Amino acid sequence: MNNINDPDRMQIEILKRTYLISILPIAFALISGEFETLLGFIFGLVISTLILRLRVINIERSLDMAEERAEKFIRNRYFIEYTIYFVVLTVARLNPSLNYLAAAVGLFMIKFTVLLWMLLDMVRGGLNKKLKEYKKLKDDKTEKGGN
Amino acid sequence: MVELSPEIIEMVIRSASVIAAGLALIAGIGPGVGMGYAAGKATSAVRRQPEARGSIVTTMLLGQIISGSTGIYSLVIAIYLVFT
Repeated sequence: MNNINDPDRMQIEILKRTYLISILPIAFALISGEFETLLGFIFGLVISTLILRLRVINIERSLDMAEERAEKFIRNRYFIEYTIYFVVLTVARLNPSLNYLAAAVGLFMIKFTVLLWMLLDMVRGGLNKKLKEYKKLKDDKTEKGGN
Repeated sequence: MVELSPEIIEMVIRSASVIAAGLALIAGIGPGVGMGYAAGKATSAVRRQPEARGSIVTTMLLGQIISGSTGIYSLVIAIYLVFT
């Protein structure tokens, strides 16, 4: 994750992984016939995808501003995003054909994916480090045994 | 002992849930302030090292994704309380 330096590529990677993970709850909702859950989840997922795009655009715009102005700009944009989330969740709560909790989980899917991705990267990095240490230790032992 | 009517109890519960929802919404302020602060620092970092712009944007994006979720947790609880 840390080796991706292009924001557009990072965005595509995040979305790709999010949709990949989202196949599982969508399949479960389809199999169990919970169409309200399915619709709520897809609703949340679509909104979170659009908000991710909005966030990237806002970040790129803020980097060309002065420090104080960028601070204010991102803070104001966050409150606009918060209002959008509020409207989305209210609609999901009031509309009987959308499951509220499924919509909330759909909104959180990108966060869950990023956290899972970071966790997997951390575990992979730790395992690789241990493997390297083990190989080095083994090589040292064979060298000493050879002498 | 004073016995309250079910309507009054209902009203007390309703008003308490609305107050709790309002208090939960306060949690949405923190991430906004934090994100703004991070954005300001990122701007000055880009000014110092323009070649690291891509790396700064991706790091900031991941940070914003993670930190923004805490505000939404409170929003989910608040809306659940208001519309119950």
